[in-house]
Amino acid sequence: MSLVFAAETGQVHLTSQTRIVAAVLALFFMFLILELIRRDRLQERYSVIWFVAGLGMLVGAAFPGTLEVVANLMGVRNTNVALFSIVLLLLLGLALNFSVIMSRQAAQITRLAQERAIEKALAEVRQDEAQTSLGKDAGSRSSSATSATEDAA
Amino acid sequence: MRTLVFIPAWNEEASVAGVIADVRKAIPEADLLVVDDGSTDATAERAREAGAIVASLPFNQGLGAALQTGYLYALRNDYEACAHLDADGQHPAEEVARLLAEVTADRADLVIGSRYHSGAVAESGDYKPTFSRRIGISVFRFFLTLATRQRFTDTTSGMRAANRRVMSLFSWHYSPDFAEIESLQLAVRQGLRVEELPVRMLERAGGSSFLTPLRSAFFIFKGLVVLLVGQFRPRHAEAER
Repeated sequence: MSLVFAAETGQVHLTSQTRIVAAVLALFFMFLILELIRRDRLQERYSVIWFVAGLGMLVGAAFPGTLEVVANLMGVRNTNVALFSIVLLLLLGLALNFSVIMSRQAAQITRLAQERAIEKALAEVRQDEAQTSLGKDAGSRSSSATSATEDAA
Repeated sequence: MRTLVFIPAWNEEASVAGVIADVRKAIPEADLLVVDDGSTDATAERAREAGAIVASLPFNQGLGAALQTGYLYALRNDYEACAHLDADGQHPAEEVARLLAEVTADRADLVIGSRYHSGAVAESGDYKPTFSRRIGISVFRFFLTLATRQRFTDTTSGMRAANRRVMSLFSWHYSPDFAEIESLQLAVRQGLRVEELPVRMLERAGGSSFLTPLRSAFFIFKGLVVLLVGQFRPRHAEAER
């Protein structure tokens, strides 16, 4: 634990000032996400990953030693490199996640457009049929009425 | 047998009425649907005037989505056979009738009209591919044959006839980008009987092809990726024979 808390020892050089700024930023980030969910601007299912990212930032600010532990686990000597690699991978994963969501929504939009086009076409066909049968009914009553309906149609 | 002929059309106001009249004459028993793919001109009005049913997509979605709309319409409305042809007047309707005959006789599930089949007769005014197009065609032909172990000569033909099994499959999945090629691969992988018939096609009435060399190269590359991915796609349960 002493290693985890010791920011000024080892390879992690964070002053308490930077740690406070990082912690405040992380808290602000998490608050922003909560606020977005509360205002229905962000759906819960897309917010989990962002919340996890915010928590990670907070942990990194509070216990800079964890970063060194993680870097050691990755076999990376320089903790900065470890940090950037983790963030880069996280962003790559997020971008891929968005592409997947976008593809699904594109497919859904296409199907929606197709369903609507078919519904409208069928409604037109039914309307035409109704008009034709109307014309026939009128025709059985009087021939002059038939031509009138046809003109109207 | 209830038959639907559908025509995907995107800004084809000049030619669509002529194509409809041609189909009416050659296949009088079929119902006619024009899938208007978000046209900004009078395509839908011209088609309606010519007596076709019109299904208008609210925005342009690409050929694949338009064709899928046709297959979905045929499936939903219990048509036993369907066929489609291009709206630009390249496809003579009497050739479509020949494709439909193959399907109604139950000799195949999906029939493709081929421009390049050895049996196709070339006449003056008939379709002749350009050089860059010929390269693309032979590349796709090679890889599709490799993927399906069945010989195809015209992989990008937009003149086809199909039965209900195919309608069900294509309503479920139809590639929006590489409609023609991937659909062939999908149908063969599904175990459907896919057949090519030599047909005559005409030279485009107007407009030019969209292919430049760079675009052709990109088109071919994209096509190969689609084919590769398609080899690992799961099968569709409903259309299984």
